[in-house]
Amino acid sequence: MKTSAKMIIVLTVIATLSGGILSFWNGITAPKIKENRLKVLKKAISTVLPKYDNYEELKLSEEITLYIGKTLKEETVGFAFKAKGNGFSPDLTLMVGILPDFSALTGIEILEQTETPGLGNKIEDDEFREQFVGLLMGIEPNIAVVKNRKPKNPQKGIQALSGATISSKAVVFIIIEQVKIVQNLYNQKMAGI
Amino acid sequence: MAKKSNSLTYEVVKGLWNENPVLIQLLGLCPTLAVTNSAVNGVAMGLATTFVLLCSSILISVIRKIIPAQVRIASYIVVIATFVTVVDKFLAAYTPDISKALGAFIPLIVVNCLILGRQEAFASKNNVGRSILDGIGMGIGFTWVLTLLGMIRELLGEGSIFAISIMPESFNTWLVMILPPGAFLTLGIFIGLSNWINERRVN
Amino acid sequence: MEEKVIKNDVKVKPKKNPKDKLFKLDRQPLIISSSPHLNTTDSVPKIMWTVIIALLPAVVLSIYYFGLPALWMMSTCVISAGLAECLMNKLKGEEFTIPDGSAVITGLLLAMTLPPSFTLTSAIIGTVFAIVIGKHIFGGLGFNIFNPALLGRAFLQACFPVAITTWTFPKTDVYLSKIVDGVTAATPLGLFKFEGETSDLFNMFWGNIGGSLGETSAISIIIGGGFLLIKKYADWRIPVSYLGTVFLFGAIMWWINPKYPDPTFHLLSGGLMLGAFFMATDMVTSPITPKGAWIFGIGAGILLVVIRLFGGLPEGVMYSILLMNAVTPLINRYTRPKFFGEGSK
Repeated sequence: MKTSAKMIIVLTVIATLSGGILSFWNGITAPKIKENRLKVLKKAISTVLPKYDNYEELKLSEEITLYIGKTLKEETVGFAFKAKGNGFSPDLTLMVGILPDFSALTGIEILEQTETPGLGNKIEDDEFREQFVGLLMGIEPNIAVVKNRKPKNPQKGIQALSGATISSKAVVFIIIEQVKIVQNLYNQKMAGI
Repeated sequence: MAKKSNSLTYEVVKGLWNENPVLIQLLGLCPTLAVTNSAVNGVAMGLATTFVLLCSSILISVIRKIIPAQVRIASYIVVIATFVTVVDKFLAAYTPDISKALGAFIPLIVVNCLILGRQEAFASKNNVGRSILDGIGMGIGFTWVLTLLGMIRELLGEGSIFAISIMPESFNTWLVMILPPGAFLTLGIFIGLSNWINERRVN
Repeated sequence: MEEKVIKNDVKVKPKKNPKDKLFKLDRQPLIISSSPHLNTTDSVPKIMWTVIIALLPAVVLSIYYFGLPALWMMSTCVISAGLAECLMNKLKGEEFTIPDGSAVITGLLLAMTLPPSFTLTSAIIGTVFAIVIGKHIFGGLGFNIFNPALLGRAFLQACFPVAITTWTFPKTDVYLSKIVDGVTAATPLGLFKFEGETSDLFNMFWGNIGGSLGETSAISIIIGGGFLLIKKYADWRIPVSYLGTVFLFGAIMWWINPKYPDPTFHLLSGGLMLGAFFMATDMVTSPITPKGAWIFGIGAGILLVVIRLFGGLPEGVMYSILLMNAVTPLINRYTRPKFFGEGSK
């Protein structure tokens, strides 16, 4: 009985102290971590959208938030949103920028990816991402992913990364899929107002 | 049990080679294999582990006499987890890039057998002074192996060390080195070499 | 095979004069080696050099199709394999094993699995890996689990996945007369997998297609391989079961869904011929029992078709053989002939 009481007391004390230390430490670091996250988000939005002065958030659904870039004259330059899907490895998250009429992309940024280093993770390279600027989306987007050469029409095609065709196709696929979803949600929201 | 013959210097030095956690004891291989795809990651992982190891060793050595034997593992884990969370939050707040690169492997330090192993084998049986020396030695031993692994893998896999380009432009990077198989290959060769050296020293 | 030599002292009768002839006979070293204790007049060098002769048709044709780069590639690999072999002999303090020809074969086979445009320095890396890690770390010829040449190829595939899948057309290609040298082209398998195009079977048979040095021409490999089979230096069961399984399984898949390539295409494309005749039949890394040879070939064949049709890579010869190499000790164990008098349970 005596040992079990001691066991309970010791463990409780250790756990309590640990909890105390952690909540204190969390108080110090949490604002900083939040700030870091916001910085990453802002940077991603500014990469994918044309020049804007500030942005507004519009919650479309539980998961999807639309970031609307606006100039000082209240002109909307484009929408940005996070698109999630699977690449060659799971959990590929993109920031997609698109014109307000959903006609063409204004840029993409890779937020999170676990693609193969040296091959698939080159989707992060500027050279690959810049191909998406000006890519036509339309109602039925028809994007060709070609290998080893530049696409004939740069507004309708992407050159796949050599050795990483699957990752390249995945990015295109995620964008097409998510743009459609976001566009529907947005139109519903606008019609509702 | 601590042998009485062990000098204080030896408590530090043993971790560097003779009882090196990675090369000889083969402890903590999960982070060793997983995060050493660049020198920076190797150093960061090594230092984070050293910090946790040192702090846990001190604390557990101090309270070793009041912890009942039945709950000692639980107590160690709570102590270790506390320090790991401190490191994790610290990295996320002040070095977000490294935190992103190391990802889940920082929280996983909790289950690194190196740390729990040292508590069970050393800190719980020795005084604070020796535990500190042991923690420092083991930590440095772990760190240098991880750093060297990271340097070699980064050099061959990316052509750079600590993100500074070393290899000439024409060098074709060995992609496999920054992938998991490269970790196994390099570590295997490391352990083989260290065994070979030890064998020659004995003869 | 490394052999431990110990002096047969037991049989020496102490009364005998040391200069006696009989005594000298008795003093012959007793050779102890691991099983199988098969008796043959063929020595390791003889077998190895015959294999090299059997490879010559493929070598000649690949130089004809790809020109001098093919020659450079093959000589680089052979020379670096020889040097690596000498280096390891020296480090291990053993006799030089160059004359047994196994290093030359490793270098040559590795070169034949590389695309002609592959850089020579990278080829050297692969060859050294094949010899040092693939063979000597395991204990030298006879102790390696995996075919060293394929292991070197696998390492290069993992190191330089883009370079190793960038092929050039053979120089005699009719279309190339208009285009400058070094046009990259996909292999028939790559074309099929990623573009859905089929290639001319006639060209595939003779070797007038994009691909690695030694894998394009089926005919030259069949000639060399047939020679090996006639000389009985390769177990005929392995190529027969390997190719047969690929043909059958390929045919079944083609019958189920014609979008898959037809079985003849399977047989003639990629490195299948080279793999079936020269790599899968490697004496060290394939099963020693007849039953085991069948299992080995069938397993490799199934793996190959599965990788080609459902995997991320267009070609699977290398991995199918390496994977079967890995289970060879198991196959040997389970197909071991029963001891005389050993009853079934």
